[in-house]
Amino acid sequence: MKKNKSLLWLFALILVLSAFLAACGGDDEEATPADTETETETETETEEEGDGAAEGEPQQGGTLVYGIDAPPEGLFSSAFYGIATDAEVIALFDEPLIDYNENLEPVPNVASWETEDNKVFNFTFEEGVKWHNGEELTVNDWVFALETIADPDYDGPRYTNVQTIEGAEAFRAGEADSISGIEVVSDYEITITFDEARVNNLTNLWAYPLPEAAMGDIPVAEMSASEFVITNPIGIGPFKVDKIVQGESVEFSKNEDYWNGDVNLDKIVLRVVDNSSVVGALQNGDIDMISLQPVSGPEVEPLENVEITTYPGLSYYYVGFKLGKFDNATQTISEELPKYQDKQLRQAMMYALNRQEWVDAFFFGYANVVNAPVPSSHWNSADDSELNTYEYDPEKAMELLDEAGYVDTNDDGFREDPNGEEFVVKFSHYATGNPTFESRAQAITQYFEEVGLKSELEMVEVNLYYDMIEKDDPSIETFFGGWGTGADPDPSGLWKSDQLWNYPRYNNPESDQLLDDALNIDIVGTDQDKRAELYIEWQKIVNEDLPMLYIAELEEIVALNKRVGGIEFDVSGQNNPAEWFVTE
Amino acid sequence: MLKYSIRRLLGMIPMLILISIVVFTLAKLMPGDSLSGEIDPNNTNPEYIAEMREKLGYNDPLPVQYFNWITGFVQGDFGKSTKYKRPVFDVIMEKIPNTLFLGIMSLIITYILAFMMGMYSGRKPYTLGDNAIAGINYIMLAIPSFVAAVFAIYFFAFNLNWFPFGGSVDILVETGSAEYYLSRLHHVLLPALVLGAMSTASYTQFLRNDIIENSRKDFVRTARAKGTPIKKIYNVHILRNSIIPLVTFLGFDFAALIGGAIITETIFTYPGIGMLFLDSVNVRDYPTLMALTMLLSFLTLAGNLIADLLYGIVDPRIRLE
Repeated sequence: MKKNKSLLWLFALILVLSAFLAACGGDDEEATPADTETETETETETEEEGDGAAEGEPQQGGTLVYGIDAPPEGLFSSAFYGIATDAEVIALFDEPLIDYNENLEPVPNVASWETEDNKVFNFTFEEGVKWHNGEELTVNDWVFALETIADPDYDGPRYTNVQTIEGAEAFRAGEADSISGIEVVSDYEITITFDEARVNNLTNLWAYPLPEAAMGDIPVAEMSASEFVITNPIGIGPFKVDKIVQGESVEFSKNEDYWNGDVNLDKIVLRVVDNSSVVGALQNGDIDMISLQPVSGPEVEPLENVEITTYPGLSYYYVGFKLGKFDNATQTISEELPKYQDKQLRQAMMYALNRQEWVDAFFFGYANVVNAPVPSSHWNSADDSELNTYEYDPEKAMELLDEAGYVDTNDDGFREDPNGEEFVVKFSHYATGNPTFESRAQAITQYFEEVGLKSELEMVEVNLYYDMIEKDDPSIETFFGGWGTGADPDPSGLWKSDQLWNYPRYNNPESDQLLDDALNIDIVGTDQDKRAELYIEWQKIVNEDLPMLYIAELEEIVALNKRVGGIEFDVSGQNNPAEWFVTE
Repeated sequence: MLKYSIRRLLGMIPMLILISIVVFTLAKLMPGDSLSGEIDPNNTNPEYIAEMREKLGYNDPLPVQYFNWITGFVQGDFGKSTKYKRPVFDVIMEKIPNTLFLGIMSLIITYILAFMMGMYSGRKPYTLGDNAIAGINYIMLAIPSFVAAVFAIYFFAFNLNWFPFGGSVDILVETGSAEYYLSRLHHVLLPALVLGAMSTASYTQFLRNDIIENSRKDFVRTARAKGTPIKKIYNVHILRNSIIPLVTFLGFDFAALIGGAIITETIFTYPGIGMLFLDSVNVRDYPTLMALTMLLSFLTLAGNLIADLLYGIVDPRIRLE
């Protein structure tokens, strides 16, 4: 008998395993018919309506499955999160005091405000707004959030949104027990004084409260690891967090006490879906909505049960030139690099690019060509009619190059520089696991070669890449990059000559002056049109100077199952999730 | 054997110290740090980045940084993950159950398949069946796991609806209920099958060769002469001897169990150590990265020790002194 032991053990294992298998199989048989039913239902619906996602009367109840294609880091608190994926999760259960409309102008949400001089703001809160733990929201929760962020132990990146309040610096340095610019009038009224009057004080201000009653006792240094951030986050939004399975899913349920109207859905289940499964999961109805990568667009478009919605994004891609070197100690551009100083050369390179073709090939139509570094949905963006649009014109590019003295003197098929030296455009692009990056970078070098500029491509690992750009590494000459802009459309941080992130090291006093003027309250007052004029003036200059070749702005793409309704998107993002509904 | 074990364990200490130096140097040699990479200007600013670099000690000289890290490490303080802003220990412990479960399930599948195929092949070598098994095994070994995973998801999850396409559990079932454990099992089966079925080649072929070799030995001839049924000779006499070399594999499997499967975990969005490890390399989350590497190095060393000890137990001819 003893000899048979191992075999017996094996046999038992097989039995146990097959029992499990049978159990699971049983589960599925129950689940499958239900699945097919909903599928056919949605199909008939679309035939009736024809124009996409479910419309008409919102329905109560139901569960919506919300997909995201990258795992969140799990820092589910407005004050502590670091990446966009976490922000997407937070947007479902929390909301800001001040919102933005489709023109990216601030509008009251929980808080409304009054100001006379753009320095002192009086905020009034809605009464009866409840945190998910039942406590009422008061201005003290906002003070708590601002003081947490200004605390020297705070490890998140938001201090810049609090810094401009009067007395924040002193509080952070430990010289004061509270921020002197914050004055609590009553539970629903608060006055905030900034250190100086600025046109963008309000948009810059941190407008999310933190639940003081729950988090007040936690030392600031330990807050980001606390349960109210990681496992049991609390907000004031239309849904509350029920359960989190780290790195893969979050369950939300309806907030019965929501302050701003009724919530339609019973539940939202947020699920991480790997990019390779997105199309299949949409087709099977396993997920109801998800933001798509441009590359998935063409695959999702033909699906019958899914509708694609796009809305303008707030980011742009460019090819930058290194025009100088930055000295971080003095915050100035300390040295000029001669290679790309010739404006005609840069303009010729712009004419050489067939940006539309490139965008269609690599972004599948989900992007638009831009001619200036302000996304077109911002109120201060210049219309194309006011700018040089640099239509693809290789003839013109070659003309300009000839004029500038870049001619082929040694008959090797490529142009030499005006001194007769070999001229090679060295182009760098970041490399990640994405295989399309190399081909899209290659395509850009080919455009340059077509007008006779010899080009060389270098793919650099992404972490190293931005490090090299930031430190003006000599091996970076022209580089591919992208910037996202926020609700505040002021480009100073990326464009002024004293900024580290002005990667091209663009140094034009006229441009600096315009950017300063547009923020100077003595010049523009509170007149948005006047600001817009200055920004358009500025865009004309950088459109002419081309310290970078503006390529395209991306569109955000969302796939929605046709059973989902009430979801709208504009440039400021999605509408209030309370209005979303599903039809069964 | 106790003396032997202690000697081996003591021998690990200098090895681990050396490993820690190498790991630390390699991690720091990687370009960039946890604050470099793509920048979102809406969400950060140069002052914050400079301040955090100072706070995290990235500006200190390397030996100082190493010393700070290793002092904490030996005292059980693995540091705070720069990505998750939580103690590394918590982050790792959160992923270990998933990874262990997946690892054990896939190992069981590998064992079962490899045993069946290996025994058949060993008994009937050089037949059509044997060649077919070898062929299938090597094809499976050659197919990259991401291809197999995507294919398996498409076929079993989306077309046949047998398994969920990703995740480790259905969030809607109550934690701790019987349904919860069934749901976990249901979620782990497909990735485990992909992992387990794809790596049977080494076990199968090892077992087959050993069975063939043993079947030519004297004790088999004796058993046959005695009139023992062929079936019994194979299933008992030969198999018991042939399992011995397989024990060496167990040591390697030990570390692999925890190490996780990077690609499979990612495609199945099955949050485990493999995904964590890859991520920590990509975002330069040094504390997590180094804690994981140290953990895996230690497990590899420990796995080898266990394999050696087991070897002595299953094969009395081997004496460990």
